[in-house]
Amino acid sequence: MKSGIQTRLLLITTLALGSFLTLTGLVLDRSFRLSVLSGAEEQLRLVIYSLMGAVQSDDAGFTLPDQMPEPRLGQPESGLYAWVNDAEGNIRWRSPSAVTGGVSFPEEGPRLHPGEFRFRAEPADGAGLIFLSYAVIWEDPEESLLTFRVGADRAPFHAAIQSFRRNLSIGLSAVTLLFVLAQYLAVRWGLRPLRTMAQEVREMEEGHRERLSEAYPLELTGLAENLDRFVAHEQRSRSRYRKAMDDLAHSLKTPLAVIRNALEQVPSKPRDLLAEQLDRMQTTVTHQLSRASVAGPLIVSRQIELRALIERLLRALETAYRDRGIRVELDVPASLGVRADERDLMEILGNLLENAFKYSRSRIRVSGSRGETLQIVVEDDGPGIAPDVREAVLNRGTRADEVESGQGIGLAVVAELVGLYKGRLRIGDSLLGGASLSLELP
Amino acid sequence: MRILVVEDEVQLQEQLRHKLKDSGHVVDTAQDGEEGLYFGREYEYDAAVVDLGLPKLGGIELINQLRVEDRRFPILVLTARGNWQDKVEGLEAGADDYLTKPFQMEELLARLNALLRRAAGYASPLISEGPLSLDTAKKEVRVHEALVELTAYEYRVLEYLMLNPSRVVSKTELTDHLYEQDFERDSNVIEVFVGRLRKKLVPLNPIRTVRGQGYRFNSDTAA
Repeated sequence: MKSGIQTRLLLITTLALGSFLTLTGLVLDRSFRLSVLSGAEEQLRLVIYSLMGAVQSDDAGFTLPDQMPEPRLGQPESGLYAWVNDAEGNIRWRSPSAVTGGVSFPEEGPRLHPGEFRFRAEPADGAGLIFLSYAVIWEDPEESLLTFRVGADRAPFHAAIQSFRRNLSIGLSAVTLLFVLAQYLAVRWGLRPLRTMAQEVREMEEGHRERLSEAYPLELTGLAENLDRFVAHEQRSRSRYRKAMDDLAHSLKTPLAVIRNALEQVPSKPRDLLAEQLDRMQTTVTHQLSRASVAGPLIVSRQIELRALIERLLRALETAYRDRGIRVELDVPASLGVRADERDLMEILGNLLENAFKYSRSRIRVSGSRGETLQIVVEDDGPGIAPDVREAVLNRGTRADEVESGQGIGLAVVAELVGLYKGRLRIGDSLLGGASLSLELP
Repeated sequence: MRILVVEDEVQLQEQLRHKLKDSGHVVDTAQDGEEGLYFGREYEYDAAVVDLGLPKLGGIELINQLRVEDRRFPILVLTARGNWQDKVEGLEAGADDYLTKPFQMEELLARLNALLRRAAGYASPLISEGPLSLDTAKKEVRVHEALVELTAYEYRVLEYLMLNPSRVVSKTELTDHLYEQDFERDSNVIEVFVGRLRKKLVPLNPIRTVRGQGYRFNSDTAA
């Protein structure tokens, strides 16, 4: 599948932007989580210090006042708990908050050395709590290793992290969306000259425009100029070719005319032979030259207004056939147009119309319409063309050795030209009484 | 009839001159467009044959220029290229008919005669005025269906007068249009031809003398 430049640019920037912003999100999330947890650790450390400060030790042993240094330690299931264990792991003391709920969690991992802290944010068995433990050598009343341990409900910290995450992802998504939108607009704006160019080329093809406009950005002026040059070159080389063909026609046909006229002074026996050969040459030259001078469909061709062209040809033919008093009905809508080389079209229609003028008795009808294809029908009230010779009339003289002497190669040439334009020429009967030639162009 | 031939190919020009002379026309030839324009301006012609591919001044420009200067004689265009662009441009410039090279001389003569006739307002080769009829194709004259034997010059005088009806034609004009330039211009010759012609057309008397001016073809008298 061919993807457009626009799609490609958008795809690339969206992917790049997406991964960049995801990465940013991950880093921010992680930093925030770490800072929340280290804040929690700090809080717990303070609780441990205040507990240690509150210890009253005497001979009776190790006691803590009823009045807790941290009020939450005194409220059952308040979310903050404390324990003091001895070296054997027996609980020497627990905070009132931990008593009623019977909350108790074993210390995990290896024994702590004196003065060592251990922080656990996600202990395996510590459902919903985070812990900080501290080991200390307690000398009063006798020297022993005690472990102070504080657990706090994890929920508030997690809630903070979750809320941060939510905000972060909303913010980043919004940024992504905004960026993609901006990118889309930038790409559209950036590529607009290309779309304009495509439109203008289409207009040239349709014949509404002679050349590209000049308002192209720097990057495209080269392309636009080349395109213009290419089109101009095609037109130039076509007219050069035509001129060469015209010169060739002139330099072949004038001598032919001279020879033909000079034949009259030749004795009759060789004259007939010469005349016959001359006829063949003449027919071949005429036929091949009319074929060769047809340019065929242009890459960029003008839209030709058919009615105007037909009217022009009719005016000319009516001048030449003034004596015949032929009435012409023209039924071609003014809007009918066709994309073709004007001279080619003139050859096609000129031959068809001249044919009608030649053979009609008094009436000719020219009608045109456009359905799926363009249809032009030329009818006359002449003798018509018999069904069994129609095929031959259209194919006459397509090969040099088939060329019959004399007239009537006009329609075969027309059929060939029409073929170049991927159209069709058909011969039928007209209601006027004579032949009906229908030309169909895509 | 006086015909101007503008054709740059010398051989063809010669052939045209001969053929046209043989069929009773007076012919001037020009090699290029400029010469053609000079002749066209300088002399009165009944028709012209103009090749489109001319040096110096193209055929289409020549025709255009002649029409701009109000030269109205019919023009037959010869084209070697044979494309419709040329034919249409030629006719639009003011030509009256076209012929594609190579052509049959007979075809050219027929077209030219048709143009001459048309210029005089007749559509068919048969010009009839009452019992008098003139066949421009066969060059025959009949009175009451009976063929009248005329010499070539007598026929030409009658044809010229009939193609210019209801208009006084001077002896000089007749000489100009019926004889070569170098012909000895003796108006007596014309008088002699007209006299003989009148005798052969009796009982009709279609040629009226306008004293001091020339002759006029008069269909009323013919009837």
